[in-house]
Amino acid sequence: MPLETFKTSDSLTMGVELELQLVNAYDFDLCSSADDLLELLSRKPFPGVVTPEMTQSMIEVATGIHTCHGPMLAQLLDIRNTLIDACDRLNIDLAGGGTHPFQRWFEQRIFAKPRFKELSGLYGYLAKQFTVFGQHVHIGCASADEALFLLHSLNRYVPHFIALSASSPYLQGVDTLFDSSRLNSVFAFPLSGRAPFTLSWDEFAHVYFTKMESTGVVKSMKDFYWDIRPKPEYGTIELRVCDTPLTVQRAAALACYLQALCRHLLERTEPLPEEDDYLVYNYNRFQACRFGMDGMMVNPKTREQISIREDVLATLRVVQPHMQALDSLAAMDELEKVTGAQGNHATWLRERFAEHGSVQGVVRSAVDALRE
Amino acid sequence: MTQEISFLLQAIAWPLVLLVAWLLADALYVRWQVPRVTSYVAVGMLAGAVHLPGMTTDITALPFVATVALSLVLFELGYRINLRWFQANPWVLVAGVVESALTFALVYWATGWFDDLRLHVRLAIASLAMASSPAGILRVVHELRSAGQVTERVMHLTAINCLLSVLALKLVMGSRTLRVSGDWMQAVFGSIHVLATSIGVGVFLGVVVPRLLKGRLSAGGDGATVVFALSVLLLSTAAYGLKLSPLLAALTFGIVARERRVHLTHTQRNFGSAGDLLGVFLFVYIASVLEWVDVVNGMALGLLLVLVRGVAKVAVNVGTARISGITYRKGLMTGLALSPMSAFVVLLVGQSGLVGFDLAEQTLAAMAGMVLVLELVGPVVTQRALMAARETHVSQET
Repeated sequence: MPLETFKTSDSLTMGVELELQLVNAYDFDLCSSADDLLELLSRKPFPGVVTPEMTQSMIEVATGIHTCHGPMLAQLLDIRNTLIDACDRLNIDLAGGGTHPFQRWFEQRIFAKPRFKELSGLYGYLAKQFTVFGQHVHIGCASADEALFLLHSLNRYVPHFIALSASSPYLQGVDTLFDSSRLNSVFAFPLSGRAPFTLSWDEFAHVYFTKMESTGVVKSMKDFYWDIRPKPEYGTIELRVCDTPLTVQRAAALACYLQALCRHLLERTEPLPEEDDYLVYNYNRFQACRFGMDGMMVNPKTREQISIREDVLATLRVVQPHMQALDSLAAMDELEKVTGAQGNHATWLRERFAEHGSVQGVVRSAVDALRE
Repeated sequence: MTQEISFLLQAIAWPLVLLVAWLLADALYVRWQVPRVTSYVAVGMLAGAVHLPGMTTDITALPFVATVALSLVLFELGYRINLRWFQANPWVLVAGVVESALTFALVYWATGWFDDLRLHVRLAIASLAMASSPAGILRVVHELRSAGQVTERVMHLTAINCLLSVLALKLVMGSRTLRVSGDWMQAVFGSIHVLATSIGVGVFLGVVVPRLLKGRLSAGGDGATVVFALSVLLLSTAAYGLKLSPLLAALTFGIVARERRVHLTHTQRNFGSAGDLLGVFLFVYIASVLEWVDVVNGMALGLLLVLVRGVAKVAVNVGTARISGITYRKGLMTGLALSPMSAFVVLLVGQSGLVGFDLAEQTLAAMAGMVLVLELVGPVVTQRALMAARETHVSQET
């Protein structure tokens, strides 16, 4: 089946998907409760979309289509409140964060849906190790070529989103020393990483995708786990590198940062993206995962080393007028918390570990943080 | 020589039976998924029936060890109880209270069909029938690694019905004392004082132990489990000596300790291998306590009570299912999963005898049929209900 046509959408509209953790209320381990929660939620209209995910201890929510920060945050808060109310009735706790700090993946129950069964059959333990929690941000594109232009232009900003959202320092009970250990799990999949370089949708759909499909490795876009991938049926590009933040405020801010950045890129004042930009891509990505805001990245155009924090600060100054124009300036405050002394959520979680002395205490803090 | 062999047999009978029970239970679980506790009970019954030399329950230490084993279970159950859930979803609490009350009422009414039962025996049976088996249910839950609403509710409802069962039994005992002796003081002492002090001791430890632990444990906090286990031992011993209710105190201790938020780690649930060991003993022991004569004589009453009790638990849980946030199907499974009744009731009656309830033996004798059926079949029902609710751990990577 050839790749479906790219449905265009309004340029710079945005939508957010969040994968959230369901944990039990007594020792804060992941708990397989998704179908109980979904059953209860199905009784009332939900302020957004809620769907089951790979395992029973994960739930995915999605907002509608937004153009600016205020309504986006309002809907995320609404979704959060509805979820927490339902969870409270079922004695389940809800938390953000890119990984669960101490769950043992082999104890997780895979959701009983054919596609999930198929995936866990194919990927074995990888499917369960994939019990990680991400935020996906969609940005609407006026054309398919615009989508590919944005997708590749964003390559140099991917480390920003990794570092700003990083909230998965703990995995299977230990501090991994990574700010985002989640992406290491994603990287284990054969079709993860970056999209192939082309700025023409015709070439992408009729040459690359057709060839890939003929190999039998992929059937649809869903089989690619790229950091950024086009989503033809929505007419969007989807940024997938973010850990689910601990708060919906952070989630909304990240989406607005991406939106403003895209607005800036669409002015086409920056040099065009090219294949050679990807020479430093994996290095930058690693630095962001490992060191967060303190990582060093190489500017693919100038080949200069700069700390991710400095680069984010510089970029924030560039996109500020765009945020203003998009009526999303409120996102700036939230992002400046991360670039400032407070740091990202990985830092915050490490502080909570120091305070409580246990990974259970870390999850408890994450549960409380989401309620704020 | 023969004397020596007989002496040796007496000495090794208990450990040997425990070993056989463990091996058999493991084999049956792997082969046919028979819940391990069911096998322990079966072995205990047989060992009691053939009067193995040395398999005597007259050794005074045995009920004490059993009480400690069950106290650990009750602490763990208490530790899983989230009091704030009752605030967020009062219907769970309502279900627990109504379920217990209806069980009491129906069982009391049904025992009336048997003329030879005295008023206070009937009241005691009705009080005891409220309780589910924390030990049986927790074992099955751990065995299946189940999680979900049925699991969660069964835990909370068991805590509620055990609590109410103790309260009711103490009141019945108080009333009995009053009738026999006419002594108000003694009646009050025998019930209200025991209840209040037991709860008080549990609350006290629940506050003090976590405070002692705070910040003093090496990272990971595995030591917390040992400290809690020793505290439960201390509490059971003290309560036993002071003629309080060790079971009530341990349950309260767990509930309060949890609220103080010292975290037991994942691997420490069930108190590890030590918990397993005491568990085997507990079930073999309580099964060996029952007399076959009583079981046979009490079977008609027993089966009737099993039915009546089951109807009460299922009806209330189905009735409150939707309003409390689950499906009718899950409500049904919750009601069924509450079936087991074993160690808690046996030890509670035994303890009441120790503190002067003159009808304790009669009560246990009358309930023997019911207890045996629910000891053996109850865990199987719980297991099947959790499976039917699809809350058990299904491994995909076979």
